[in-house]
Amino acid sequence: MTWLKLVEGYMPMQMISELAICILFFAAINFSLKKAGIGIPKFWAGVGVWIFILMYLKYRIYPPIPFSVRAIYGTVSACGIFMWVSGSQPEWEDFKRPILNVMDGKTGFHKAIRVVALVLIPLALGGYAYQSFLPSFEEPIELRTVHPAPPATTKVHGKTFVLQTAENPYRVNPEGEYDQKYTDAHIVSQDMGRLMKDFASNEDNPWDPNAEGYIKYVREGGEIFFQNCHFCHGDNLNGRGLWAYAFNPIPANFTDAGTIAQLQETFVFWRVSQGGIGLPPEGFPWASVMPPWKEHLTTDEIWKVVMFEYWHTGYYPRTWE
Amino acid sequence: MKTTQMIDLSKKRDTMETTSRSPLTLAALGVLTLSLMLVGLPSLVSAQEDVPEGFKSQGLPAQHPAEQIEAGKRVYFTKCVWCHGVDGAGDGPGADRLWPRPRNFNAGTFKIRHTASGELPLIDVDLMQTVTHGLPGSAMPSWEGILTDQQRKDVLAFVTEELVKDRDWQDDEFETLTVLELDKLAPKPATPESIKRGAELVQEKKCVECHGMEGRGDGNAFNLKDDWGFPIQPADWHKCWNFRGSRQDPYNVKNIFRTFSTGINGTPMPSFADNTSVDERWDIANYVNSLCERVNEINIAGGQVTDEIATTLSTSQALPVDILTDKPKANFVVPSKYTEGEVPTDEMDERWKTAPRRWIALGGQITHKPRNFVNRIDDAWVQSIYNDTTISFLFQWDDRTKSVAEDELEFDPTEVNLEDYGVVESPPGGSRFDDDPEHPESIAAAQNQYQVFNDGIAFEFPVKWQELPAPRKPRYLWGDEKFAMDITKWTADGVLYAYEGTGWDQDFSERDDFTEQMKIAKAEWKDGRWTVLIHRPIKGDYEEDAYLQAGQYIPMVFFAWDGHNGDAGRKMAVSAFYYLVMEPPIPKEAYIYPVLVAIGMVGIEGWVLTRRKNKRASKS
Repeated sequence: MTWLKLVEGYMPMQMISELAICILFFAAINFSLKKAGIGIPKFWAGVGVWIFILMYLKYRIYPPIPFSVRAIYGTVSACGIFMWVSGSQPEWEDFKRPILNVMDGKTGFHKAIRVVALVLIPLALGGYAYQSFLPSFEEPIELRTVHPAPPATTKVHGKTFVLQTAENPYRVNPEGEYDQKYTDAHIVSQDMGRLMKDFASNEDNPWDPNAEGYIKYVREGGEIFFQNCHFCHGDNLNGRGLWAYAFNPIPANFTDAGTIAQLQETFVFWRVSQGGIGLPPEGFPWASVMPPWKEHLTTDEIWKVVMFEYWHTGYYPRTWE
Repeated sequence: MKTTQMIDLSKKRDTMETTSRSPLTLAALGVLTLSLMLVGLPSLVSAQEDVPEGFKSQGLPAQHPAEQIEAGKRVYFTKCVWCHGVDGAGDGPGADRLWPRPRNFNAGTFKIRHTASGELPLIDVDLMQTVTHGLPGSAMPSWEGILTDQQRKDVLAFVTEELVKDRDWQDDEFETLTVLELDKLAPKPATPESIKRGAELVQEKKCVECHGMEGRGDGNAFNLKDDWGFPIQPADWHKCWNFRGSRQDPYNVKNIFRTFSTGINGTPMPSFADNTSVDERWDIANYVNSLCERVNEINIAGGQVTDEIATTLSTSQALPVDILTDKPKANFVVPSKYTEGEVPTDEMDERWKTAPRRWIALGGQITHKPRNFVNRIDDAWVQSIYNDTTISFLFQWDDRTKSVAEDELEFDPTEVNLEDYGVVESPPGGSRFDDDPEHPESIAAAQNQYQVFNDGIAFEFPVKWQELPAPRKPRYLWGDEKFAMDITKWTADGVLYAYEGTGWDQDFSERDDFTEQMKIAKAEWKDGRWTVLIHRPIKGDYEEDAYLQAGQYIPMVFFAWDGHNGDAGRKMAVSAFYYLVMEPPIPKEAYIYPVLVAIGMVGIEGWVLTRRKNKRASKS
């Protein structure tokens, strides 16, 4: 099923436009069938559209939305369809007709349906009641704060860093001074693929033999990343590494605009150096497998790998101003 | 083999050209193909007798334009260089901690192909699919959605033109492309007969010598090496989602058929195109595919597949696959079923058939040193049944090697800090700068050379889980100072012990009294799989024993050790937090209320119909 991309995560605009296109398509079919003189009865059109919406919500979106939310959407769309079918008195009569025909048992066929419905509805309701009485054990929903409030300071290898004032010592311009503007100008481009800006430039290409300063440190950070971090955070820093399937919470996706893009660099430095165990309780420190990297890396290496993460994703760290 | 290909080449290409020049022949061939497929013959009658059944010869691709190669460099040096290295020798910074290692492009040896054994792959099909879908079971991810189609083509242009150094796609003196026509071969339906024949064929063709009698990759797990001299393991057929060539579609039989037809270049896996018919290959592929884990456990009796087993295999339901991770979907709730009387004492007990089994995903322990970068055990299956006093856990997991430490271990089973005893993690690699082709310090070269420790499995509950305000838990890694963990650990030397854990670096303390009440009902390694059945009381006599209560969510974590991977102490595989739920018996209300609801509904129906009738009567 790789030809059909599911609507991933929460992409409301895509969902709404897809649904709108489908409904327009149905309307067009309905219209042309009517023109051709073989119009679909209002009852079946309404029921059909409603079932389509329910199926769309259930199967088209990934990860699946919970039943309770689908129930709300289902009810809202049922109301919409009801308004549509009851727009005018004749239309409403048209819609009701199949139901009334069955209730009255107009023909032998209608009678048969009436008998079947009379038996099936109580059975289905009873079955549903039985199901809901069975004890069911779904995975409990536990809401975790992904970016909890950081502490004022963090201590790494005996040195205390004040998160408000600390600076990445490798974020430097060719003169060796801290310069966020210069380094921001030499991260990967933000278009599809997030590739380095210019392969031929030793200011943009970390693998250029003449790379110096910032861009050389980026390469060193990348080497550390690909020896330590990619196992979980993935080769494209998108949180889908080798072992992403085994861990819960899943590894952070740095290419998502909601992670490092909206954090200060010192926050990331704190998270990397202290790891999951250093989180406050709202961050679920007990469940995170994020290592406290100060156990494995030097302070310099941590700063370099943080800088690499920004370079590779094409995001600028947030600043205090 | 190379020489035969060379001689055949001119002839093949000539035939190719004649066919392509005559539209009439082509049309006739098309009609013939179509009619053959309609009749249900799965094979094509090839016009070229020297090509194996199901293959056809194809011309070599044209050279890529220089601008495209240049554009590919920008992609390669942003995304690929970190593992594949500056020269494409598979020796980037990440390489030495990976097993399997990143591909060394220089020799032009590529594993997953539609082309005959030993040949170069199709760039626009095979390599493109590899970049698009990744190689599961290795660190190569899917680049779809990250790189555009064009960017993927560009990087392939650069890799194939400049990093493949020993061979050349334009070299028509030495290279041929004999392509498996997979799209034209209709898969044979996986009937019980086909599966049974496949099971016989894998023995006849000696597949089981490497892959093991049950196909768990345990046949020849030790002596195999790839073309670069690194140890390599036969595939475990029960984990199709780890097949390198599964193309994000693990239960698709075509992928197995392709690998079986073309072999895996650079590895001991040969192509079977020359000594099997297409029909036989479908049977084998159907059998191998049917072994990939299903919702229910299927006992295949050491590979001696009877009609009954074949029928079960052909009708069983595939596991749901998580499209984001390309692995089975994990369900974090482990149900335990209530039973009256004794809990099962072996894995053949009928009651296991109704107790749902759960897939426990295991990753390497990489939080604290020594980190485990190669977790040879990447999953386990668990089922549970309990009665009023005892809970039983049935674990089954694939492990290619039975590992029992030969000598007495120097460390105590309660010790967890084992760096001083040689349990160390791999350095990030010392080989990148010293031009050492053998990479002596890489994790791939270290495989099969570890000191052998005991295989093992363990699980833990918070001791005082009742007092934890949800979602709070003790730390997954053996608890913490505030909240201790109740740990049950089994090792392959036959020891089952209850411990208390108070932190990742804190030695366990023994719980002797509880240990005496636990029991190993079964522990057996057979055909590449451990089956371990553990009984433990649901309540102990002391404070440090967790009291497991029905109807509650009890946090649970799993651990596994592979002795031949040098696993001991913290070098192990771990799971995320799961929840054990001992399902209480069905309440009586569940039988009473539904009946009342149904009767009520009948009443409502009667009322509505009567009203309608009266209304109509009054109208007329």
